[in-house]
Amino acid sequence: MEKPVTRDPGFYVMVAIGLAVMFIAPVMLDLFTIMQITQYVVLSVFALSLGYIWGFGGILSFGQAAFFGLGAYTFAVASINMGSTTIPMVLAFVIPTLFGAALGYFMFYGRLSDVYLGVVTLVVALIFWKLINHTAGPEYSIGSARLGGFNGIPSIPTLHVPGDPSAWLDPGQMFQVFMGFLLVIYVALRFLIASDFGRVSISIRENETRSSLLGYDVRKHKVIVFAIGGGIAGIAGAMWATYQAFIDPNSVSMEMSAKALVWVMAGGVGTLVGPIIGCILLQWLTLQLGTVDVVNSIAVLGAIMMVLVLALPKGIVPTARSLLLGGYILWKRNQGQAISGKVVKE
Amino acid sequence: MTTEHILTTRGLTMRFGGVTAVDNVDFNLRDGELRCLLGPNGAGKSTFFKCLTGQLTPTEGKITFAGQDVTGALTHQIVNLGVGIKTQVPNVFDGISAYENVRLSARRKHLAPMARELTHTTLERCGITHLAKREVGLLSHGQRQLVELAMVLAGEPKLILLDEPAAGMTGDERDRLAQLVLESARSAAVVVVEHDMAFIRQIAKFVTVFNRGAIFREAMIDDIMQDREVQEIYLGKQANVAAA
Repeated sequence: MEKPVTRDPGFYVMVAIGLAVMFIAPVMLDLFTIMQITQYVVLSVFALSLGYIWGFGGILSFGQAAFFGLGAYTFAVASINMGSTTIPMVLAFVIPTLFGAALGYFMFYGRLSDVYLGVVTLVVALIFWKLINHTAGPEYSIGSARLGGFNGIPSIPTLHVPGDPSAWLDPGQMFQVFMGFLLVIYVALRFLIASDFGRVSISIRENETRSSLLGYDVRKHKVIVFAIGGGIAGIAGAMWATYQAFIDPNSVSMEMSAKALVWVMAGGVGTLVGPIIGCILLQWLTLQLGTVDVVNSIAVLGAIMMVLVLALPKGIVPTARSLLLGGYILWKRNQGQAISGKVVKE
Repeated sequence: MTTEHILTTRGLTMRFGGVTAVDNVDFNLRDGELRCLLGPNGAGKSTFFKCLTGQLTPTEGKITFAGQDVTGALTHQIVNLGVGIKTQVPNVFDGISAYENVRLSARRKHLAPMARELTHTTLERCGITHLAKREVGLLSHGQRQLVELAMVLAGEPKLILLDEPAAGMTGDERDRLAQLVLESARSAAVVVVEHDMAFIRQIAKFVTVFNRGAIFREAMIDDIMQDREVQEIYLGKQANVAAA
C-alpha cells in the first residue's frame, strides 16, 4: 500500500527526462534558446517551493516572492562583498529558511487560520517590496553593496566553480548547473514527501484535528514545511540574481507571488511536476504573447487562466494523469474483448 | 489519590461570554474504570469533553491526568501522555484507506514492522479487516466511526475518551462497538459521552449525569434509570417531546 519513491516508475522517467535535457540541450540548442530556458529552470525551482508547501503541507502562501526576493538580495549583497558565489548560494538558502521559520513560528504558534495566513504572507511580501523600494540612497548599503532602491543592484557576479572565483560558468554550463539544482531539489522533495515526516504533513493537510488527536504537533510540522519552502524559494531567488546579474524590487512584487500561485494552480496542486509544467507553459505563453502587439498579453493570459481553472480545475498534470489511466483501462478492456472474441471464433 | 485516580478535575469551569457551559465540576475517574456521561442537549457534556481533550482551555479549574497537571495543555500533548480521543464528528483522513488511517496512528509509537502488525490486529479487533483497503471517505458514517475507534485503539492509550461513538450506527455495528468498549475497558480507563440509551444500557455501570453544566447525579446505571429527577430532566424530556 505504501509506495516508496524508488518503486515509482514515474520518478525515474522524470529524472531521466531531466538528465537528458541537462546534457543534450546545450549541445543541440543555440545560445539564445539556452539562456531562455535557463530562465524557465530558475522559475521552476520557485514554482516547486510553493508547490511543496501548498500541495504537501496545505499552506497557501500569497507572498512566496518574499522568500524569492530575500534569497536574491542575500545572494547579491553577499557575493558582491565576498567576491565569490559559493557561500552566498548557501546563505541564500539559510537566511530565507530562518526567516520562514521565524515568520512561521508567529503564524502557526499563533494559530492563525488559513485566511489570515494568506493575508499575513501577502502583507509581509508587500512590506519587503516597499522597504527595498525605499533604499535608493547611498546610505543604504551593506558593505560594498548598495541596495539601490527601485534601481536594483547591478553587476551581480556570475556563478563560478566553487573555490575558484575566476572560473566563470558560461551560459551552457550555468544552464547545466541550474538543471542540476532543479533535479536535486525535485528528488529531495520526492523523498521528503514519502518519508514519515512527509506523510504527517499530508495528514495535517487532510485533517488537522485528527493529526493532533494522533499526537502530532501540527504547529511544529507546519513551521518546518513553511521554512523548507522558504529556503527553496531563496535558492531560486539567488539563481535568478546570478542569471540576470541584476536584481530589483520586482523580484519581491505581488506579481511574482501571483505568478507562482498561477503556475501551481494551473499545473496541479498536490504534484511536484505540475508546478514545473505550469511554470514553463505559462512563462512560454507570456513570452509568445509579448511579441504580439494586437492584444494586451496580460489580458490574454488572464483569459487562458480562467479557461484552465474552469476546464481543468485539478490542474494539467492530475487531469492528464487520470486521462492516461482511463485510456489505459479502456485499452486493456478492448484487448480483453478482442481476445475473448478470438476464442469465440475458434 | 493520584495513584487511584487516573483523571480528576477540580472546580472546572468554562464560560463563553455570559454563558457558563461547565460550572465548577469535580470529576474523578479511577484507573481502569468505565464511565458514561449522560445528560440532555446543552448540559455541558461536550464542552466538558473538549476541556479534557485540550480543544478548549477551561476558564477556571484544574485537570489532572495520571498525576500530571494538564490544564490548558494542547491536544497533541495530552494525547502523547497516553489519552486516546474520539471526537463527536468522525475525524478521519477521507482520502486514504482505512488501513493507512490506522497505520498512521500505530506508527506514532512503533517502528514500521510493529506498526503494521498492530494495524492488522487492531483492524481485526474492530471487525473491519474487510474494509482495510477501502477509501474511508466512501464508507458509511457508522463504519467511519469504527475506523476512528481503531485509530484510537492503535495508539494504545491508558485513557480513552469517546464522544458519542454510537451515533449513526446500525444495530449490529452498535453491538460490536459495545463489545469493543467493554473489551477496551479491561486495559484502559474509558469515558463515554453518549445519548443513545440502548447503547448506554449495554455498557454502563457507573454513570455521571450532567445538567446545566454541573454534575447532577453520580450513581449506578440501574439507580439512574429509576431516578425520578433524572427522568424528568433527561428521559422525561424525551417522553414529552415524543408525546408532543
